[in-house]
Amino acid sequence: MKAMQERKDILQVRDIHKDFSGLKVLTGVDFEVKENEKHAIIGPNGAGKTTLFNIISGKYKPSSGSIIFKGEDISGRSPHALTRMKICRSFQMTNVFKELNVFENVRAGVRCDHGLRYNFLKRPGSIPEVNEKTEEILALVGLADAGETPARELSYGQQRALEIAVTLSTEPELILLDEPTAGMTREETIEAIKMIDKVTANRTLVIIEHDMDVVFSLADTISVLHNGSILVSGRPEEIREDQRVKDAYLGEEAG
Amino acid sequence: MSDIPVFFLHGLVYAGLLFLISSGLTLVFGMMNVLNLAHAAFYMLGAYFSYSLLNATGNFWLSLIVCPLLLFFIGAAVERFLLRRVHVYGHVQELLITFGVAYIITESVKWIWGNYPLGVNLGGFLSGSVNLFGLFYPIYRLFMFFCAILISLIMATVLYKTRIGIIVRASVDDSEMVNTLGINVPLVFTGVFGFGAALSGFAGVIAGPLLTTYPGMAAEILVDAFVVIVIGGMGSLVGALVASLMIGELQSFGALLFPKLSLALMYMLMAAVLIIKPSGLFGEEQ
Amino acid sequence: MINQRSFAQFLGWGIFVLIVGVVLPLGVRQYQVALLTEIIIFALFAVSYNLLLGYAGLLSFGHAMFFGVGAYTVAIVLNHISGLSFFGAVMISVMVTTVAGFAVGSLLLRHKGVPFALLTLAFNALFYAIATKWHSITGGDDGLSIRLPDINLGFAHLKTGDITVFYYITLLIIGSVILFCWYFTRTAMGQTVLLVRENEERMKFVGYNTNVSRLILFVFTGFLAGLAGSFYTLHYQFTSISAISIDMSTIVVLMVIIGGTGSFIGPILGACVYIYLQDFLSDITDRWPFIMGLIFIFMILYVPRGLSGLIDSFGERLRGRWHLRSSVEMEE
Repeated sequence: MKAMQERKDILQVRDIHKDFSGLKVLTGVDFEVKENEKHAIIGPNGAGKTTLFNIISGKYKPSSGSIIFKGEDISGRSPHALTRMKICRSFQMTNVFKELNVFENVRAGVRCDHGLRYNFLKRPGSIPEVNEKTEEILALVGLADAGETPARELSYGQQRALEIAVTLSTEPELILLDEPTAGMTREETIEAIKMIDKVTANRTLVIIEHDMDVVFSLADTISVLHNGSILVSGRPEEIREDQRVKDAYLGEEAG
Repeated sequence: MSDIPVFFLHGLVYAGLLFLISSGLTLVFGMMNVLNLAHAAFYMLGAYFSYSLLNATGNFWLSLIVCPLLLFFIGAAVERFLLRRVHVYGHVQELLITFGVAYIITESVKWIWGNYPLGVNLGGFLSGSVNLFGLFYPIYRLFMFFCAILISLIMATVLYKTRIGIIVRASVDDSEMVNTLGINVPLVFTGVFGFGAALSGFAGVIAGPLLTTYPGMAAEILVDAFVVIVIGGMGSLVGALVASLMIGELQSFGALLFPKLSLALMYMLMAAVLIIKPSGLFGEEQ
Repeated sequence: MINQRSFAQFLGWGIFVLIVGVVLPLGVRQYQVALLTEIIIFALFAVSYNLLLGYAGLLSFGHAMFFGVGAYTVAIVLNHISGLSFFGAVMISVMVTTVAGFAVGSLLLRHKGVPFALLTLAFNALFYAIATKWHSITGGDDGLSIRLPDINLGFAHLKTGDITVFYYITLLIIGSVILFCWYFTRTAMGQTVLLVRENEERMKFVGYNTNVSRLILFVFTGFLAGLAGSFYTLHYQFTSISAISIDMSTIVVLMVIIGGTGSFIGPILGACVYIYLQDFLSDITDRWPFIMGLIFIFMILYVPRGLSGLIDSFGERLRGRWHLRSSVEMEE
């Protein structure tokens, strides 16, 4: 525990506000994520979790406030710029290249990371490291044998795995996962947690999750988002015992 | 100096014409998300129908009523039998089909009426001039301007005061939502598309006697109408109104002050809007 | 997605077309050779257009602005710079077109879909207006004629005025550029273009600047159209206002839709069919554009994959492995 306290903050979210034409979704979100931490964001439906993710990952600009990544203010930067700074996110609804096979889905990100983006002369597979890296990522998420399968023909569980593989393809230091186990069966969820735990080793993870089992088995730190701001942040056991959380979140769930 | 009021009025007249065309274009776009490239071809058809009807009957008022009606049916048929069939394939196919219709109309016009300009002669009081505070101004241009205002007022009344207007405006905002309310959206689409064609045809009828009636007139005004809706913001009627006035006056005074640059001025304005506010003056940010 | 043929298959086709291209002029009349030259030039124009439409999903109604800039620049520089060589003129022309493509592309950067289509048409109208009004440079409605410089290679002196010689020059240069375009669709950039079309949001989130990718492609296709345009002028030794008109943009749309946007070969096929059909129909009737329009509407309604799509499915049926390619680009 002590070692964790001394780690540096990799991400600081400072007083983020967001409103959509008058509708206040986020009303001052503050929290920080330490290097190599597994940080879960939980909260009832409509608390603004996905909006917060969209702001951190550059899809939306915050109305006010700042996001600081490794000491640099990155709020309002475009998604591709953030990806190149090693922040990468996944999507709640699988968002991959459906017409491409699994291998090419992942290679799209890997070759971008290797600078093979707009090259007029080289083919996408012309750098051996790119292909090797792609194979490596596929093996990591358990899709090594599915390389040739078109993404749209994958089973649901495999699609979710591919979603994570594409997220990993750019070698992110900070990974943002938006409900990676949504819609999975119990068994699939357990497998998925194992896999996520494995692939995020030595990286920083921020995860939005509904499934409390996932949250408590995976996270070092939990932040509870309620009514557009962070109600409390702390270690899982603290959150479990916190009366405010019980009132706000668990109470609502029961009701 | 006495030129200035004349050119100002000229600008207003052209703005009125542009608004008649661009309002239909932008309404259809806002509602169906279809940019109708045949819109100006309907305008041209209005002018040619009117020319033939005038030759046959000599009654301008008759063509003012009959030609838009004809175009309503042509427009509705294009929507019902062509556009709707390719709707499932997406915007590219929709654009291409209206493009094909525009092409065929232009070629038909060349075939039927010939590939040369036609003059439309108006008899009666419309061809005279009137003394406006010491300024002699052609009655016909004033007539055009009042037609544009009249039609705009009728359109505003229909859109904002009637049930069908509410449905149309709601469809512009969210056609799926309207669909779930049990309203026959396809029928509304056909109607609005036909109405846009009729509006465009009406503009053609009143433009015929002033501007030349020739097969290139469609492409010419189409580009101006496009510039209007880019500047005003695609799908915005208020934007179309403001931008029509801007373009009308800009072209009129441009011709007076910088005759060599008058065309470029319009594009410079468009480029400036694209740089500063890509969605147009009254367009919604994406 | 675009139907991607295997390399061997394409090479086979390439060699076949090349042999036909080399042998064909030997047995036919000069008029036919000139027609073949025109086909090659328009094939490049159509291929460049299809990189926008078929590969990137960007519908432009103003591609002739670049064709026209290429055509006019060649004529203007040959008239104003004495002693300029054939290739010098072509080089300047494509450079000017590239700059024009960059200027227009930067303004269109943030637009796609319907606004993109509308803006390209508006810009084409602007270029057309400039060409008609700037009489002292462009010759306005009268157009510009040129004296075609011969090519001196040191060991050989090529009389470019000879129809057959010009044909072979066109076949070599434009033919290799078309081959490069095919290679381009397989490169990292070519694949990026396809992926942006399929899922732009995800491309942003794996680190691609999709606006930049669109701009690069737009400039590249402008460059190709400019090259086609410059050869158009050199071929006719004349350029007219029609080279930069919306009618010229219309022609390329017709060619590509008739040929099919779903494959690399489609637009080339479209250029062949369009030019031969035009040649054939214009002998019979003055109303041939009307017939072209009907064919166009028919293709959109009933053959959305174009002639190349028809040939593909026919070929597959023959080989007895008929299956629907769900990857037909338009039907997303």
